Amino acid sequence: MIEPIKGTVVGQPVPLVDGIEKVTGKAVFTADLIAPDNLTGRILRSPVSHGRIIRIDTSKAEALEGVTAIVTGEDCAFTYGVIPIAMNEYPIARDRVRYRGEAVAAVAAVDARTAEAALELIELEIEELPAVYTPKESRAVGAELLHDNKPGNLEREVHHEFGNVEDGFASADLVSQEVFHCAEINHAQMEPHAALAEYDVSRDHLTLHSVSQVPFYVHLTLARCLEMDTSHIRVVKPFVGGGFGSRTETLNFEIIAALLARKAGGKVMMQLTREETFITHRGRPDTEVKMKIGLSKSGKITAAACEVVMSGGAYAGYGLVTILYAGALLHGIYDVPTIKYDGYRVYTNHPPCGAMRGHGTVDVRHAFECLLDRMARQLNLDPFEVRKANMLAAPMFTANGLMINSYGLPECLEKVKAASGWNERIGQMPEGRGLGMACSHYVSGAAKPVHWTGEPHAVVSMKLDFDGGITAFTGASDIGQGSTTIVAMAAAEILGVDLGRVRVLTNDSAVTPKDNGSYSSRVTFMVGNAAIEAAKAMREKLVAAAATKLDVSPDEVECEGESFFVAGSSQSALPFQDVAIAALASEGTINVKGTFTTPVEAQGGKHRGGAVGSTMGFSYAAQVVEVAVDPDTGQIAVDKVWVALDCGFAINPLAVEGQIEGSVWMGMGQGLSEETHYKNGLPVHGNFLDYRVPTIVESPDIEVHIVESIDPLGPFGAKEAGEGALSGFPPALANAVANAIQTDVNFLPLTPDRLLVALNKSRRAARRKEAS
Amino acid sequence: MSDTLPNFQLLRPDTIQAAVAILHDTENAKLCAGGTDLIVNMRRGLATPKALVDLTAIKEMQQITNDTEGLHIGAGVTLSELAQNTPHSAIAQAALAIAGPGHRFAATVGGNLCLDTRCQYYNQSHWWRKSNDFCLKYRGETCHVAPSGNRCRAAFTGDLAPAFLVLGAEVDIASPQGIRRIPLAELYSGDGTDYLTLADNEIVTKIHLPPGSAKSVYGKIRIRGALDFPLAGVAIAAKKSARETRFRIALTGTNSRPVLLDDPAPFTTNDSAETYFSALNKAVQKAASPQRSTITAPLYRKQSIGALAARLAQGLTND
Amino acid sequence: MKQIISLSINGKQFEDAVSDNMLLIDYLRNTRGLTGTKTGCDGGECGACTVIIDGQARPSCITLASTCHGASIETIEGQARNGILTPLQQAFHENLGTQCGFCTPGMILTAEALLRHNPDPSEDEIKQALGGNLCRCTGYVKIIKSVRTAAEANP
Repeated sequence: MIEPIKGTVVGQPVPLVDGIEKVTGKAVFTADLIAPDNLTGRILRSPVSHGRIIRIDTSKAEALEGVTAIVTGEDCAFTYGVIPIAMNEYPIARDRVRYRGEAVAAVAAVDARTAEAALELIELEIEELPAVYTPKESRAVGAELLHDNKPGNLEREVHHEFGNVEDGFASADLVSQEVFHCAEINHAQMEPHAALAEYDVSRDHLTLHSVSQVPFYVHLTLARCLEMDTSHIRVVKPFVGGGFGSRTETLNFEIIAALLARKAGGKVMMQLTREETFITHRGRPDTEVKMKIGLSKSGKITAAACEVVMSGGAYAGYGLVTILYAGALLHGIYDVPTIKYDGYRVYTNHPPCGAMRGHGTVDVRHAFECLLDRMARQLNLDPFEVRKANMLAAPMFTANGLMINSYGLPECLEKVKAASGWNERIGQMPEGRGLGMACSHYVSGAAKPVHWTGEPHAVVSMKLDFDGGITAFTGASDIGQGSTTIVAMAAAEILGVDLGRVRVLTNDSAVTPKDNGSYSSRVTFMVGNAAIEAAKAMREKLVAAAATKLDVSPDEVECEGESFFVAGSSQSALPFQDVAIAALASEGTINVKGTFTTPVEAQGGKHRGGAVGSTMGFSYAAQVVEVAVDPDTGQIAVDKVWVALDCGFAINPLAVEGQIEGSVWMGMGQGLSEETHYKNGLPVHGNFLDYRVPTIVESPDIEVHIVESIDPLGPFGAKEAGEGALSGFPPALANAVANAIQTDVNFLPLTPDRLLVALNKSRRAARRKEAS
Repeated sequence: MSDTLPNFQLLRPDTIQAAVAILHDTENAKLCAGGTDLIVNMRRGLATPKALVDLTAIKEMQQITNDTEGLHIGAGVTLSELAQNTPHSAIAQAALAIAGPGHRFAATVGGNLCLDTRCQYYNQSHWWRKSNDFCLKYRGETCHVAPSGNRCRAAFTGDLAPAFLVLGAEVDIASPQGIRRIPLAELYSGDGTDYLTLADNEIVTKIHLPPGSAKSVYGKIRIRGALDFPLAGVAIAAKKSARETRFRIALTGTNSRPVLLDDPAPFTTNDSAETYFSALNKAVQKAASPQRSTITAPLYRKQSIGALAARLAQGLTND
Repeated sequence: MKQIISLSINGKQFEDAVSDNMLLIDYLRNTRGLTGTKTGCDGGECGACTVIIDGQARPSCITLASTCHGASIETIEGQARNGILTPLQQAFHENLGTQCGFCTPGMILTAEALLRHNPDPSEDEIKQALGGNLCRCTGYVKIIKSVRTAAEANP
């Protein structure tokens, strides 16, 4: 293993460069862009799950004083969707509605009360069609089709087999199969959705401020749906209150705000309620996973077969990517000689699902790690030993063509095993207490973007001007994860300057270079590398100027600590400001850029769908969870988590810790209490009482260990840190519960009601066994 | 997204008499103290009063006094004050189990005793309820929890009521005719819609607890450690003598009213603990009648509150 | 109906005419331009809107503005004095007690009210006090650490 480089800046814990704004209330979020000339936008939503729109009469609403504009499906005839081949959603429903809460009209008015009153005045006539709410219903023979071109209500089916699984199972000593059911969940980022659209009638210019993780995609979608030239559109992303994937595609309210603004000839603030934010959804789908694993007596995995059915909601969204990820990420963590995957992404009359932190892998990883744990028990093997028997050896390519250049999982296992006192404690726990473990991984950036243009995957530009300030420009969306800080740190490290000399300007399409957005944990890897390249280009200019002044060749010049000097020479060092002035003298304001392009070999296998899951490198995580289970009430208390994550290199260890804690905890929410509920398609969970995001009271201490495997392609050796640990939590939890109460459960979340049912069932089984 | 409360007139009387007079003279007026229940409901379009009678200026409703007749708690005492100023464990535990600390600074004893009943079909937005043809509790014809029945099955979920019930509380009710005092249990009708027996012009002003040395405890079934309303809650008071322990038990969250159980036979030194508390568990489950008013299954609420009650009762015998 | 309210916000006195049905959060954000106070839910469920009213940290999204007549209100904008961060602000910044920053104003103000009456809270006391403030980024680990750090910084 290569030794981590601790730089003067990188490798040090650095508070967020935009943190002061956040603790002082100065951070301006979209909904904070309050102005006297803002109109208020509100959306009328479908009351039924599935139906034909017969009539929408907006005349009474239009006549209401204070109403400025009303739009319906008539106002936009263009579909949108994040996947170019699967755009099947209208910003406002036309002819058909396919889920309760789908937008059917929208109003802009002088204030919220008027807008609300106008919604009540819109007459809507819908002929109801049969609705389907589960994959079983929607796949049934004769079921009503949601989309005419999707027979069987199947958005996408995937069938991949690498090697021969039947041979693999035949060579196993133990083959087990279980079906796991994971409920649908939502990102529940703290900031409700909001967009501010301003249309300049005289110039035909549109400016949109929005909560997006992907302003570039929003920009393209606005141009498409409003039939505008992209040069007439400007998209700005202010501070964003979390995303976790909910905002990795253009969302209908962004387009609707723009449509209203254009029609009103003004500025429309569209703030969604929390309920509407839940309805906008794009969360992790309800997923059934049938998992089969073959294991030798010594714990070597011989084969795995997995069938996944996802209830995707009413529109395509990211669906085909999700169902492909679920299969692709069976690979890349353990040495499994042969893997078969069958995936079905099914339409249902629910709000559309999408990408959520750990996109595609979480429910499948849960099934795999739970089943592996049970099989280890059956074979009397320690779960750590089973994992260790199946380690990969980097560098390598997986059977499905995924590139792995660094692999710190063995060290992760060692760290959490030691930290949790596993060897001493496992098997010695008092009744009702248990330890469980699991591993997980995630991509560091999708190697192929969904909008393939041939351009570099990331561009950072950088400016040096008369003030001596370094300004980095990036389109990377900081949504709280700290990406702006990474860009600043990379620039400061390469240029040998104080962090305070570096400014980062982000996310204004009129100013900053295009960036694909914050998804698939791509930003540190891609934008970080682009920032390094930009800083190197800038350094080259400065070094050249310094070399002239020092009368040496450029390769003799070093820069560090805000000065330029000749290595090993007694010659006095030049301060940064002097070198900057010299460099500017020759060409004026210096503008440079850096780019990052994913290597071809990282772009996945040649099979259909092979690009999904492809990445430059995976993060790896192992975790141990300790629980106490109340046998009377089924309540689970998570007392402690030990987690280790291989992030390649921790550019900002403080932020890496924060990401690991946050992702483990989000896995805990999915494991313990979070799930959506619908009554005939009506979301019952559209608030923070029924959608149970854990509170601080029941949240455990999370002990983080960072493992640095130094990825050869990563910026300073770094890989992703914000997603990899999430999918390990739910299975580690289920395994800990099994350890505590000798009851295996095949569902998520492990709510106390379900756990009590399972407990009572296993008690009855135990009594029967005793009786016989 | 707020700024959408319906129009109303806010009135702020500083005496009980004035408040009662306003209630009597004003059509469609509602009482408001901390607002942590009513304002939330109004934001969802669940009430459109023409006037709100803010009780927070009435000083006489904000006192806690203690004399030979027991403890007297003003209905305007906040939950955080109550938690700090009660000698009864069950009351303090119940108060501290309500919502979050921020709510408890504003929410009052009277407000929690008169808390609107709750249901997954009721505590939803206007759009949601309208899309579901509303419900029997508000603007609709059908109880979606029990469509074949003719009464609303929304659950009473105040945490304080069971604690007060097991300690023998009575409440003062002010009306234009003066003040009457009734046992707390009589404040509740058992119907999910008209869940209180109060007339439109009446106000709960004070809670009286008789002197006594009963030990008490409150336990709450909920998914999270804060914020959640009780899926079920149980208060237990125990009076111990040399040879027996007498229990009083009351439930919340399980029925459309808080339920005070018939006093169980005392636990004596002759009883087997296992048999006794298993019977107590069953008795609690029998009294509890949770419906599908929450997303969490009714059977769980029944079973878990029975088990919790038995455990807490047994705990009181050990103290 | 409107009423004239007179109140102190961050130590400064204001007199404003507010509708009876105006919520405190709308008054602070729309009338007074104090947008540091956030709306995260549809009423009383997340704590993002928490402000300090007469020393108590309370949700402003379910508080009527006109009931705050005569009150002293503190928002996140009034915490730092002359640009100097409070110990809590400093600690949240340095310990990454804030990631996206949306729950942060409410979180800091709730913690501020806690530290004023309990300058040395245990981990459990911190958890109980912040039970009404949801955060979706941090898993709360660094929030607890930030509050403890601020408590230790206060002699």
